[in-house]
Amino acid sequence: MSWRLFAQTLRWQRVRLAVVVLAGIGWGVLMPVIYDAFSDVFRDMATSGIIPDELLNFGSGSLFDLPGTITLGLQHPLAIAMIGIFAVGASSTSIAGERARGTLEVLLARPISRTVLYISIAVAVLLTVLIVLLAILGGMAGGAAVIGLSDELDLGRMPLVVLNGFGLWAAFTTFGLAMSVSFDRPGPAIGLSLAWLLLHYFLEIIGSLWTDAAWTQEYSLLHHFNPGEILTGKLDPIDLLIVYAAAIIPVVYALLVFPKRDLPAPA
Amino acid sequence: MEGTPSDGTAAISTRGLTKHYGSVRALTDLTLDVNSGEIFGFLGPNGAGKSTTIRTLLGFLHATRGSATVLGLNMVTDSVEIRRRTGYLPGGIALYDSLTGEQVLDYLVDMQGREPKRRAELCDRLELPGSVLRRKVRDYSRGMRQKIGVVQALQHDPELAILDEPTEGLDPLMQHAFYAILDDLRREGRTIFFSSHVLSEVERLCDRVAIIRAGELMAIHDVGELLARRRRKVTLRWRGAAPDPTTLPGLEDVTVDGSRITGSLTGEVSGFVRSIASPNLEDLTIEPASLEEAFLEYYAPGQATTEEAQDR
Repeated sequence: MSWRLFAQTLRWQRVRLAVVVLAGIGWGVLMPVIYDAFSDVFRDMATSGIIPDELLNFGSGSLFDLPGTITLGLQHPLAIAMIGIFAVGASSTSIAGERARGTLEVLLARPISRTVLYISIAVAVLLTVLIVLLAILGGMAGGAAVIGLSDELDLGRMPLVVLNGFGLWAAFTTFGLAMSVSFDRPGPAIGLSLAWLLLHYFLEIIGSLWTDAAWTQEYSLLHHFNPGEILTGKLDPIDLLIVYAAAIIPVVYALLVFPKRDLPAPA
Repeated sequence: MEGTPSDGTAAISTRGLTKHYGSVRALTDLTLDVNSGEIFGFLGPNGAGKSTTIRTLLGFLHATRGSATVLGLNMVTDSVEIRRRTGYLPGGIALYDSLTGEQVLDYLVDMQGREPKRRAELCDRLELPGSVLRRKVRDYSRGMRQKIGVVQALQHDPELAILDEPTEGLDPLMQHAFYAILDDLRREGRTIFFSSHVLSEVERLCDRVAIIRAGELMAIHDVGELLARRRRKVTLRWRGAAPDPTTLPGLEDVTVDGSRITGSLTGEVSGFVRSIASPNLEDLTIEPASLEEAFLEYYAPGQATTEEAQDR
């Protein structure tokens, strides 16, 4: 681990991270507010039968209780975009970007192995992902407290939500990093990482909207993180196992592939 | 072709170093020794395999076969330690545009884990004052970026400097400042391995030079010897008719034009000058031997690489 490289990687992200953390807190605060303001309306709409049941359970969340709203808030494209900026964007462009700019060569001229370089960058990017996740969840908990809904959340279970959520997004982050070590340009790396995320999002959403395709949700990593269920005491250890296995496999791949790759002079 | 075995300790030693990309032979059976304390020029046109050699030595590329040691360390197993004791300037160096020159140098020397003992001196000699170093790299000209590249390669006072076309982008004044820096490093016993296609700087700086073409080592020479062996262009003008050119020892490709004789001279000049001493000799011009001629000779059609010979 190179702490200097770790610190510099964080420094590259600091402005973006500050903006996204603020946006994440804002989004998090908004979830309990929306729940407080609209849950009765949605419940009425649901009982009236105007809206099909499937549409009332977008992904694995719902607006009928606060834990469900939190799930919805974390599966919303906005939340995915905020975390994805780092889990997909920063990860996939990190090493491939240095490679394309030609600065990877300057870095690797220092006494640092490729393994150490990978680990230092990976830890820094994973930390940014964790910070954004904490910002969103912190905003949700803070928002619930401000409008007096704290009793609807078991905050003692929040660390498990963080553990599961971090595992999920670590899986996308390490995939992005694996793509980053595999390509000499950030374009293909970010394209494949984004496609990987969208594939899982598609499997999750299509399964929730179309009952005949419900089986597809099991194949989506996003389906293995349900903060609403965790907050109501229904954490499935298999979910943890799946997301952390999905996070570790790309790490193993990267640590095998990156040191063996030839790094010809940048174009 | 193999490099001349060294008598001293080899700072770099390669044995049959080969790098192929599929069917493309970027480097074939390179065997050479770079002695400690010398400036060694690695000369060749674009695409000859100079950067491939350097990048293989530093562990960026994996050799198809062959072996190498750098500072006595195994190129494959001791790559990190090699880079700890080496300074490297990549060809066409890329820097972090969003940082200032000073931040780039700080970052890279921190990563090196050494004190920037030479930075102040190098910045002074390359005319990089604090006002320039405090500017963002994105505002730098190509020459300024190259100067930062030189400083980052040498600021930690490495035992061995590997420089890939180091004077690219430097103006003539800065090139001379750079040459003076290398001269000083040589005096202090540092080893410099640098690639170039600028013949004059190799001639000016290097103790020995290797010529590489299409991935194969064509020749490796002491620069002094190489220049001494070069053909010099000689022009003689006589009072009255020129003498019989066959009486002029060592002169070849002779052309007689009235009282004027031109030709090319190989070998020692002193013997030739003694032999032509005559009161009738009105003028004598001996053009200095140029490494360029030596270089061009190696690139003449008769000097085929193994690959070319096999193709024929």
